[in-house]
Formats: sequence, C-alpha cells, structure tokens
Amino acid sequence: MDFHNIHIDPLEKKWIYVSLAIAGLFASLTLINSLFNGINAPSNVETIDSARLHLTKEFAEDNLGVQVDENGKITARMVAGRYSFFPKHITVPADTRLTFRWVSIDVLHGVHIPMTNMSTMIVPGYVSEVTTVFPKPGKYPILCNEYCGLGHDHMWSNIVVVAKEHWSAPAETQSEGNTNDG
Amino acid sequence: MQEISEEDRKRILQSSPVGTWALMLTVGIGFVIAWLFLYYGVFMPRGIVD
Repeated sequence: MDFHNIHIDPLEKKWIYVSLAIAGLFASLTLINSLFNGINAPSNVETIDSARLHLTKEFAEDNLGVQVDENGKITARMVAGRYSFFPKHITVPADTRLTFRWVSIDVLHGVHIPMTNMSTMIVPGYVSEVTTVFPKPGKYPILCNEYCGLGHDHMWSNIVVVAKEHWSAPAETQSEGNTNDG
Repeated sequence: MQEISEEDRKRILQSSPVGTWALMLTVGIGFVIAWLFLYYGVFMPRGIVD
C-alpha cells in the first residue's frame, strides 16, 4: 500500500501536527525533569531469595525499619507479607531523601502511600528500591495495591512523616545494602 | 429543517471552519493545562521519585 498517496484532509493534517506538538511538549518536559531534577522511574534490579529473607543480614527482623548509615543516608527496609507490611509503624523525616527497600516474603504485592509518589510493585525474588521525598509532614497509610489474597483489603501499615527538626535517627545505624545474594 | 440557498451553501463550504478550530483549540489547550496541572501541581510537589 502506498501511504504517500493517501488523501488526508488539510484540517485533519493540522490536527495531527497539533497532537504531535502536544506529545512533543510533554515528552520534552518529562525529559528535562528527568535529566535536571532527577525524576526517573525506579529501575533497581536486585535479586534476593524470598524464602530466606530472615536469614539475610539486611532483612532479618532486627534490621527492619528506618536506619541511617555513616554517610547520613536514610534507608527504610520493609518486608511485605500476607497480610501486612513489617514493621507496622515507621517514622521518617519530611523534606529528606529517603531510600525504601521493599521485599516480599511470599507473593506479589504492591505498595502505595496515598498523597505521595511512593508507589511500586514488590515482586518476590527482587528488591524494589525507590528513593523519594515526603514534603508534607503527616500520618499516611501504607497500602497494598496488588491483589494478594483474601486478606488483601486489610493489608496496610502506617508511616508518620515528621518535620525534619523533630526527627531523630534511630540508635541502631547498621546499613547493609546489596549483600543479599542467595 | 429549513433549506439553505445555494449561495449560502457555497459561502459556508468556502469559509474557514471557525467552529472546528475553536473546538480543536479548546480541546488542545484544555488538555495541555490539565496535564501541566497534574505534573507541576500534583506530581512534582509530592516529592522526587527515583
């Protein structure tokens, strides 16, 4: 089929140009923010043995929750399992770069914190790492947004975001990232 | 329905499609404003994500 000889109404052609211009504008703005403001889709690929999480250094029960490493980097390690997120309550500072590392102990879960940009899937066998900032202090629920079983509706946890000056780092500061091969 | 004269019919067909342009501009501008509001008014103030 010869596409060069297809008749396109001039008005329709103009509308095609307008549509392409709009799409180009959106793509440009997204690209500019990606390059200069560091806004990207989370793309960490890191495997972990979901059946042995409790035996790993990083996701052992005592190591879960919010921790600050020697460089001041704040990391929250969370385990999702039917039907809750562990630990159940965490407190983090507002306006601060936070790294969340999520793992699943059983099936596919999702995590969504309403009114924030924290949202990702938690795939068994992988560590889902998302870095974000919570600008507004407040209490937020942590919800599962991937159907994971009969108790899915009740799978939630809490996160409290407090003003930076009111937040104090937890006493334990043992950060053990990227040591989960197994 | 009232019949239009041949003269009126020609005039309408040869004139610029103002209504279509108005509709295209309204939809286009509305779409851009809505997108910019969601991106800069909702998404960005909720913090960076990486």
